Amino acid sequence: MRIFNRHVSDRLAAYVEGAIDANLVRRHLAQCERCRAEYADVQKGMAALENLPVVEAPASVWNSIESVLDAPKRPTFNPWKFGFALSSAVIVASFAYWIVMRSGAPWDVDGLSGSPVVGTRHISRAGRVAPGEWIETDARSSARIKIGHIGSVVLAPNTRARVVATRPQENRIALAHGEIHAEISAPPRLFFVDTASGTAVDLGCEYSLYAEEDGSGLMRVTRGWVSFQRNGRESLVPAGASCRTRTHAGPGTPYFDDASDILKRALDTFDETSSLDALGAILSASRVRDTLTLWHLLSRVSAADRGRVYDRIAVLTPVPAGVSRDRVLSLDRETLTRWKDELAWTW
Amino acid sequence: MYKDQVYSIAHYFFHGDSGIAADITQHVFLKLINNVNQFHGDAEFSTWLYRLVVNVCLDATRRHKSEPIAANSNLEAFARPGSQEQDYAKAQAAHIVRKAVSALPVKYRMAILLRYFEGLSYEQMAQALGCSLGTVASRLSRGHRILAERLKGFEGGKL
Repeated sequence: MRIFNRHVSDRLAAYVEGAIDANLVRRHLAQCERCRAEYADVQKGMAALENLPVVEAPASVWNSIESVLDAPKRPTFNPWKFGFALSSAVIVASFAYWIVMRSGAPWDVDGLSGSPVVGTRHISRAGRVAPGEWIETDARSSARIKIGHIGSVVLAPNTRARVVATRPQENRIALAHGEIHAEISAPPRLFFVDTASGTAVDLGCEYSLYAEEDGSGLMRVTRGWVSFQRNGRESLVPAGASCRTRTHAGPGTPYFDDASDILKRALDTFDETSSLDALGAILSASRVRDTLTLWHLLSRVSAADRGRVYDRIAVLTPVPAGVSRDRVLSLDRETLTRWKDELAWTW
Repeated sequence: MYKDQVYSIAHYFFHGDSGIAADITQHVFLKLINNVNQFHGDAEFSTWLYRLVVNVCLDATRRHKSEPIAANSNLEAFARPGSQEQDYAKAQAAHIVRKAVSALPVKYRMAILLRYFEGLSYEQMAQALGCSLGTVASRLSRGHRILAERLKGFEGGKL
């Protein structure tokens, strides 16, 4: 019953709009005057917005876009010159396209401090790094790589990475060791970072990734989501959460940075040894938000222990319609996804 | 197709400043056109577009932090040509609500504009804003409560 006593202030807009399972909120509202008052306020706020019309963009906006796109103006038309220029352009474009599609265009690099090295060249302020080339910083240097038009990656001191691909739909670097900070603003799954223990797949995000040469390391996400994958094992890491990686095991179980030290220590032990004592400590130290960790554990514990994890999540937050114990215990993919989507409201 | 929606978001986000709204709209579409080869089917086009809108608006907010933005207090800006008394009342209501929306903290303002002008789903908003579903829900709930607080006397959301 404890769950129904928790205030639902932050879910009221979603409740009004029917975006969440309504039972929990409805039951709470029936018994909580404070949340009923807030519910009325949310409705008033929504109603007020109906007074705001869509504002038509003035024609000048589109004209100015067109004029930027049209510039520079075309020269006077000469069919011979045009034919020659066109043939040359087709040959050059085809060659460039072949080069780019095979490996990709170089990325711009800014030296932020010291003298980073690209291949064998030292970069003081600006340079370029092409697919296949290594970029390395020493203890006194750092660099920023511009990832095409989709974002940037800062290499902290003592970092070594190789540019693998710079194609429009696959931007990939391999982090040999050190630390990077990635800031990507693009559709998901365009930017990848390979390490010896897994691949970080951008789902629209900002994150730091530290890796030792053997691949062990830590990912910390500050915005959006990152998927950390290796051999079919996937950890989904949202903003505010971290995930350790291990050389042979790949991505560890993600946890929120504000989780208790007891949970973090126990999770470390469990990921290393699958200790049942550690699992017990994780379960008892979990809060509602730590269902992020528990949901991942469902597919990582033995079948015999899966029921314990299920039961703990069910105590922390109501099990939504369409999610049954049997299906979860059999790791039914659709059911797990459905549950994750519901739990993600608390992450 | 999206031009008016993008312009509206920028217009209401920047206190009704039509100059900034025009700049933002132009910037967003130029970025979109120049980067369209980065788009492929994994995400919906609108999600990608509105992520650009969010980024461009937030960048502009940082740029304009030190400069006061002239709020457009001209009610006629909302009234259509030839509008009569009723239309003027509508324009006045829009003006009051716009002022209240403009005064919201940035994170609540952007969430509300994306949801109620563009009708983005919570999932799309989470992607555009780079946050979790729970954070989207929380920003909308808090934003509406602040709005209601500032619009006390605006009975039932209508004048």
